[in-house]
Amino acid sequence: MFDYQQLIDSLIKGEKEIVNNLVKQAVDEGLSAKDVLDNGLIAGMNVVGDKMEAGDMFIPEVLMAAQIMGEGVNFLKPLLRDDQSAAKGKVIIGTVKGDLHDIGKNLVAMMCEGSGLEVINLGVDIAPEQFADAAKENNADIVCLSALLTTTMPQMKKTIEAIKDNGLNNRVKVLIGGAPVTQAFADEIGADAFAADAGSAAKKANQLLSVSA
Amino acid sequence: MQPLDIETFKPRLKTLGKEQAWAIHSAALEILAKTGFKMEHPKVLEMLQGAGCTVENENWVTMPAYVAEEAIKSAPKQYALYDQQGNKTMPLTNDNFFYGTGSDTIFTHDLETRKRRRTVIKDTGNFARIVDALPNMDFSMSMGNPTDVPIENIYVHAFAEMIRNSNKPISFIADSGKDMKKIYDMACLVAGGEDEFQKKPFILNYSEVISPLKFPENVMEKLVFCAEKKIPICLPSGCNAGGGGPITLAGAMALGIAENLAGLVIHQLAGKGSPFLFAPNVSVLDMKHTVVSYGCTEWSLTQAALADMRDEIYQIPIWSFAGATDSKVIDAQAGAEGMLSIITSMLSRCNIIHDVGYIEFGNASSLEMLVMADELVGMSRFFTEGIPVNKETLALDIIERVAKGPEGSMFLSDPHTFEHFKTAHFLPELMDRARYESWEKKGKKDLAMRCNEKARRLLKEHKVIPKSKEVETGIDKILNTK
Repeated sequence: MFDYQQLIDSLIKGEKEIVNNLVKQAVDEGLSAKDVLDNGLIAGMNVVGDKMEAGDMFIPEVLMAAQIMGEGVNFLKPLLRDDQSAAKGKVIIGTVKGDLHDIGKNLVAMMCEGSGLEVINLGVDIAPEQFADAAKENNADIVCLSALLTTTMPQMKKTIEAIKDNGLNNRVKVLIGGAPVTQAFADEIGADAFAADAGSAAKKANQLLSVSA
Repeated sequence: MQPLDIETFKPRLKTLGKEQAWAIHSAALEILAKTGFKMEHPKVLEMLQGAGCTVENENWVTMPAYVAEEAIKSAPKQYALYDQQGNKTMPLTNDNFFYGTGSDTIFTHDLETRKRRRTVIKDTGNFARIVDALPNMDFSMSMGNPTDVPIENIYVHAFAEMIRNSNKPISFIADSGKDMKKIYDMACLVAGGEDEFQKKPFILNYSEVISPLKFPENVMEKLVFCAEKKIPICLPSGCNAGGGGPITLAGAMALGIAENLAGLVIHQLAGKGSPFLFAPNVSVLDMKHTVVSYGCTEWSLTQAALADMRDEIYQIPIWSFAGATDSKVIDAQAGAEGMLSIITSMLSRCNIIHDVGYIEFGNASSLEMLVMADELVGMSRFFTEGIPVNKETLALDIIERVAKGPEGSMFLSDPHTFEHFKTAHFLPELMDRARYESWEKKGKKDLAMRCNEKARRLLKEHKVIPKSKEVETGIDKILNTK
């Protein structure tokens, strides 16, 4: 009987080789790739997310776990059935037009990946149309907008308008964040959610998915 | 006893050895020469190419060490800022240090309700007014990004508000060359024309490049504008250890210095001899909460080290921070963190020291914090002045007079005490030394409450010398132009 708890504990501790070996072992023992993904890697990252939120883990430890999880996902991907997806949903992310600060945005991208989402990182200085186009082309579930500069905040509103103008607003949820952004601002511009930090961004993204599913 | 003529030693902090300083400097030059940087301003790119830099892949620049060394040479080592009435209040010479507020916070703590709320333009005015009133604050910054003025013009409105509420020098933010021009026009108006402004500049610009090694077009517009108009500018990057820069302090410093040197080169190419404030902001990214810390011990350490590098290598006045905290309220953490950065920035002789009054790692501002920090600067200043040793301070005659004097003789009632007590000691106003009974009688107020009351009193009582009608209408006119 495969011990998922050992896999989860090793993932939390950042023990790369042990995790890799356990993932292979699980498959060898006849468990399905989907099972290993859901009950091992994603379950482990959920604990990591909770620990981070409680202040019991440092961010580099969280990212280490996320990277190890990523390797596991890559190993499992080819073993999934055609009707199974490695990702729970698809996220488009970028900083809005005029803003070139990308550290926060990149962190959110990694946290989302770690929580089992597929992330398409568009980069910095992304115009409203570009966001809308990317959401359409990739059939995205969520668009994440990031801004550090107060002066670029109006671009968030414009991007939400562009998503609406493209008829995507029923399908695509918008999640916003960044130093000057608040829940009140999110409400004002009609964003679906606001996240104050990277950990809660990943959590909110998953919540948005379960609401829309 | 012979009359004494002894120079007073001024306490001084040293945190970096000569070899360490040169090693970090060399590392910065190596970053520029080998890794290079991304330049997004086409004209600046041409300038850099003309000066001996190499451009690859459209906008990736590498810079030979000699280009940076030349800029260090041509940058002025001493200059001065004036107040808005033309008095030379901030001479950046010798070991001088000056404290002031910060910019761009999103929230402030309301003095009346004592609750956190979004900032409005009046807050910028209130901070400027209190800076104007406080003896240990030397310059103003906007403190907040107001929500009640048009967002594309927040910096122009903030500047006008500081002009209306203060006569001290102003360190200002601008979004691009466009609003910078408006701010410059206002400054010239206050000075009585461009020629007068050039003789007695009272503003300096704060702009940031993006770590690692990104130089955005709008920021370069501002840098070139300042160089051409001889407006002092600082160009720190956010190379906080672990976020914008590597996790280790030496590497984060080397990266920040490289970014600063590249900025200095562009600045000196656009205006040779124009005034520049050196040094990056090397704080840490908190490893749990991913915020850039304003209360950490590391930032105090790196800026003290940068002051040593100024002494050893650059000689150019430096930009730094102090009097800020990560605490959400004015509590023991706020006091401890505020004092750590205030006294170390002073002991290491950082020159222009901003962000006084920041709480919540700069996400919020507090007038209570500002008022408290003013007293902490006062305490630190007294410490930094050292102990004058001369006939009058050794007071041997007085010791004899009291010790051998008639019954009832005491120092407390001696004329020597009457003459010196106001200068021989630092006389605190907010730090409470009352006996328990009198503290109790006055309402058992903690320091935060006493700061709150002082801030409210200053806002009510402090009179700012008003600007002329002509300046006021001129400012309004500039504000209303498209």
